[in-house]
Amino acid sequence: MLTKIHHVGIVVHSADEALKFYRDALGLPVTADRVVEDQGVRGVLLQIGNSEIELLEPTRDDTGVARFLASRGEGMHHICFESDDVAKELEAARQKGIELIDQAPRVGLAGMICFLHPRSNHGVLVEFATPIEGQHGH
Amino acid sequence: MDGIGATHIDHIVIASNDSGAVAETFQRNLGLEIKRTMTRPGTGAQLAFAKLQEVVLEFAGPPEPKPGEEVKARLWGIVLAVRDIRAAVDRLRAFGCEVGDPKPAVQPGALIATVKSGTHGVPFALIQYEAISPATGAPA
Repeated sequence: MLTKIHHVGIVVHSADEALKFYRDALGLPVTADRVVEDQGVRGVLLQIGNSEIELLEPTRDDTGVARFLASRGEGMHHICFESDDVAKELEAARQKGIELIDQAPRVGLAGMICFLHPRSNHGVLVEFATPIEGQHGH
Repeated sequence: MDGIGATHIDHIVIASNDSGAVAETFQRNLGLEIKRTMTRPGTGAQLAFAKLQEVVLEFAGPPEPKPGEEVKARLWGIVLAVRDIRAAVDRLRAFGCEVGDPKPAVQPGALIATVKSGTHGVPFALIQYEAISPATGAPA
C-alpha cells in the first residue's frame, strides 16, 4: 500500500546552484547529499513536512537524467510514493501488466526503490520507495 | 522565521490533455483514490484530486479532451503551504526571486502567490490557508 509522497525529483544543471533557492531561500534542511555512481547522478534530498524534494544533477552524459536535462531542461522529473514493501508494490504492478523499468528493487537514495516506466502512466515517471531503517529521512 | 516558514507540500500538479483519463490511470495503477473532481471557475479546466497524507495530487486538464488524441501527462508544478505568506514573499524577494503579490486562491480563505523566477524550471507557488475571511476578504 502506498502511504505517502516520499519525494518529488527535480533535475537541475547544478545542485549547488539549486540549493541557493531550495535550501537557502526556502530554508529547507538537507537530509542527504551523495553521488550515486551507478546512476551517474548527485542526489540531494531536502525535507518539507512529511515529504522531501530531491535535486538530481547528472554527473556524466550517458544517463537518463542527463538526457532528460538535455532534451527538456531543468524541471520536475519523477514522483516517488512510499510503501512499507516496495517488492510487493513491484509485484502488484507486474501483475497488473504495468511496464517496469526495474525488474527488482534496488538501493537508491530513498532506500529500496524501483521505477515504473513512464509509458504506463501517460508519460509520468513513478518511483516506489521503502526507506531503509537507520538511513536518513522518513 | 526559519526560511519561508513552509510546513509541507500542499499539492503537486500533474498537467495533461485529459485529466480524467490520467486520474483514472493513477487510480487503477497505483490504487490512489480520487476524492474530488471539479471545474475551475473562469477557465473551465477539469480538475481531479487525490490525497496521500498531507499532499494533494492535482490532475489538471483542459475543459474538453480532444477526441482521438493520445493522452499525455507530465509533472508540472509544486505548491508549498506556508504559515505567513506575506513574510514568505518578502523573504523570497529579498533573495532576488520574482514573486507575485498574494491573491485569493480557489480554496476559501486562502491566499496564493506565484514564484516566477529562481525555481530551476519548476512552476512554484505558495499558499496560506485561513489567511483571509472568506466572507469579507479581510485578513483573518
